[in-house]
Amino acid sequence: MPWMNRVVADKVKLEFKDVDVEFTKHTTNLHVRQERLIDLLLYLRDKAGYKLFIDHTCIDFPEKKERFQAVYILHNPESNERVIVKTWAKDGKLPSLERLWPCAKWAEREAYDMFGVLYDGHENLRRMFMWEGYPYFPLRKDFPMEGIPEVELPSLTEIYAGRKEPPSHDYEFMHTRVPTLEDLERTEKSRLQKKAQLVLNWGPLHPGTHGTIWFLFDLDGERVVQSDVILGQLHRGMEKIAENVYYFQFLPYTDRMDYISAICNELSYVTAVEKLLQVEVPEKARYIRTMFAELQRINSHLLWLGTGALDLGALTVFLYAFREREKIMDIIEGNAGFRLTTAFLRIGGLHYDLAEGTLDVVKAFLKDFPAKLREYHSLLTRNRIWLRRTKDIGVITREDVFNYGLTGPVARGSGVPYDIRKLEPYAAYDEVDFDIPVGEVGDVYDRYLVRMEEMVQSLRIIEQCVSKLEKLPKSAPYVNKEHPAVMAPKEDVFMDLEDMVKNFRIVVHGESAPPGEVYVSGENPRGELGFYIYSVGGSKPYRLRIRSGALYNLSIFPKLIQDGTIADAIALLGSLDPVVGETDR
Amino acid sequence: MAMLNSNGFVLTTVDELLSWGRRNALWPLTIGLACCAIEMMHAAASRFDLDRLGVIFRASPRQADLLIVAGTVVNKVAPMLKLLWEQMPDPKWCITMGGCASAGGPFPTYSTLQGMDRIIPVDVYIPGCPPHPQGLLYGILQLQKKIKEKGVKKYDKAFEEFKKDMERQGLIPREITV
Ligand code: SF4
Repeated sequence: MPWMNRVVADKVKLEFKDVDVEFTKHTTNLHVRQERLIDLLLYLRDKAGYKLFIDHTCIDFPEKKERFQAVYILHNPESNERVIVKTWAKDGKLPSLERLWPCAKWAEREAYDMFGVLYDGHENLRRMFMWEGYPYFPLRKDFPMEGIPEVELPSLTEIYAGRKEPPSHDYEFMHTRVPTLEDLERTEKSRLQKKAQLVLNWGPLHPGTHGTIWFLFDLDGERVVQSDVILGQLHRGMEKIAENVYYFQFLPYTDRMDYISAICNELSYVTAVEKLLQVEVPEKARYIRTMFAELQRINSHLLWLGTGALDLGALTVFLYAFREREKIMDIIEGNAGFRLTTAFLRIGGLHYDLAEGTLDVVKAFLKDFPAKLREYHSLLTRNRIWLRRTKDIGVITREDVFNYGLTGPVARGSGVPYDIRKLEPYAAYDEVDFDIPVGEVGDVYDRYLVRMEEMVQSLRIIEQCVSKLEKLPKSAPYVNKEHPAVMAPKEDVFMDLEDMVKNFRIVVHGESAPPGEVYVSGENPRGELGFYIYSVGGSKPYRLRIRSGALYNLSIFPKLIQDGTIADAIALLGSLDPVVGETDR
Repeated sequence: MAMLNSNGFVLTTVDELLSWGRRNALWPLTIGLACCAIEMMHAAASRFDLDRLGVIFRASPRQADLLIVAGTVVNKVAPMLKLLWEQMPDPKWCITMGGCASAGGPFPTYSTLQGMDRIIPVDVYIPGCPPHPQGLLYGILQLQKKIKEKGVKKYDKAFEEFKKDMERQGLIPREITV
């Protein structure tokens, strides 16, 4: 995606004399003094058209005086350009952007939770992922990844069997701090001041919440007066891990973020790293990547369809959808060796070549699937119960799409044709033909139709990939192993000394990346999954920020459910389709 | 052991009968935490069909006697999981599915619980990241075998530990103010 061009940058410069414009290799950065931040952002939003809020995060520089640098990423949907705005915190404080973009509230909570940066003017600055009373700020550079072991938590299995010296298995007795129920209660109470009759907790361990999201509804009868969402019940510290491992080592972790669409996550990640390291990817690998990413998209939408319908009482759809999922899983397993968390992609290519017979199986699937789609349509699309539960529920306006940073099918359901595959084509998306379905009303039903149509479009893409791959010779390379930072494929490693030495070097020392920064995103089934990598050289990123589409899509939930009923919450949540692994990371 | 004698009577002990009933109707609690939960759903869906083993997911802990911990248990969710476990009536069993629930898995971080057995005694550990649905089936079969061979476990000892632990951590909820 292009970044802010010089003409616009000059205009900004005219308006704001003290803004430094920096054109880096992959981005355009505007450096601004903190006092002028809000003015600049207002100007960018209202005058320059940068109205889609992509992300906000901080970077910790312990040796600098101000220590925390704030990073804002914005997007201009008209000219299709991005820009990064940077400023330094003053005395550990930043102004809150809540009034400009309501979703910034969540990003700021996260930055407060992870770095301890305070935000002036934030309505309720609380811990985002950890609990109230947690004393540390984990993403600060001086905090260890393993945390601080401070409580004794021995294995109860062992205690039950009789504790022995030495212990029956190898583990540490000491453990990081675990909250008590009181801590959690305090967390809950700090979020919502009760206004109406009753506060209902929905989740965190509830089958309908698609994982471990914790909702609070302040109810007046059936009507929701206000609500809030507590996240962090699956916060595993991904961004901290990323700072502590080599680039290639982080790849399997991306699988475990949005675990329903593992290959799409990998694709976004490797695209970002490849841009940073400047790796060219062979044609065959690009097509295989595209094919599998689209298979994964169908797979993910099927899970959304199955569970979304199950939540509204349609068990049949769940069983039918899983029948098809198993077929896709088999194709993926046959190639990657893993059903769910595949780790199939590699920086510079793929881990394996296409397995024998894959294309035949994919073709059979392509032939078979449209009939199955018709089956789902006949079960739901004109079903009266389904219509009553989904029509005109949770209507999202076009303005809200920009204000809340919504992306993916949620944005497209409201008629905003925002699709990274078209705007910034990666893999082979610029060489295949497909359409972007958009909705009109922006209700749950529209999002349902958009996703159903996306599956059809994915089929189209897969078909084109298959016919292209059939034409390519079998011996075509699937890894760009000439590049110094790319590992050679396994079969070469066993036969060739040079390749073995190279792989050995990468595994031990990691790839060495040039200093610089990139922001690259991919179109995930859940929205834009972006990776902002800040590198100071070396084999580990200095800061890796994951821009989660699901998190921002979820941020509109409290607004949509206001004055709705509890029953609508379930339909609405299903249509936003968050995955906790990605919202919490 | 049950025996069929020549008159067509089945002779067995009450213990054996109960254990037969228990191991063939394990009702797990419907809880999914992370990636492994997807594989658990697959195990319950059309292809692998857990119902064949008498495994039927229940939405309330009061009706369940098996806790399948499928996914990463982070510190923040641990006390709630423990609360659910305590709400389940005896006899009950616990299976940890996947590396995360068993021992922290790929996440040796500040926020992740390093093994479910730190807060709940575990009967069967299933390795994998995630385990194949067949792995889960195998784990459940192993649990059935364990129930058959060992009978119903007495949890007294573990309960003592729980109680001490609860008192130490102040886990018994009280009204608090913010
Ligand atoms: S063991 Fe692996 S698949 Fe299972 S929850 Fe943990 S990371 Fe996910």
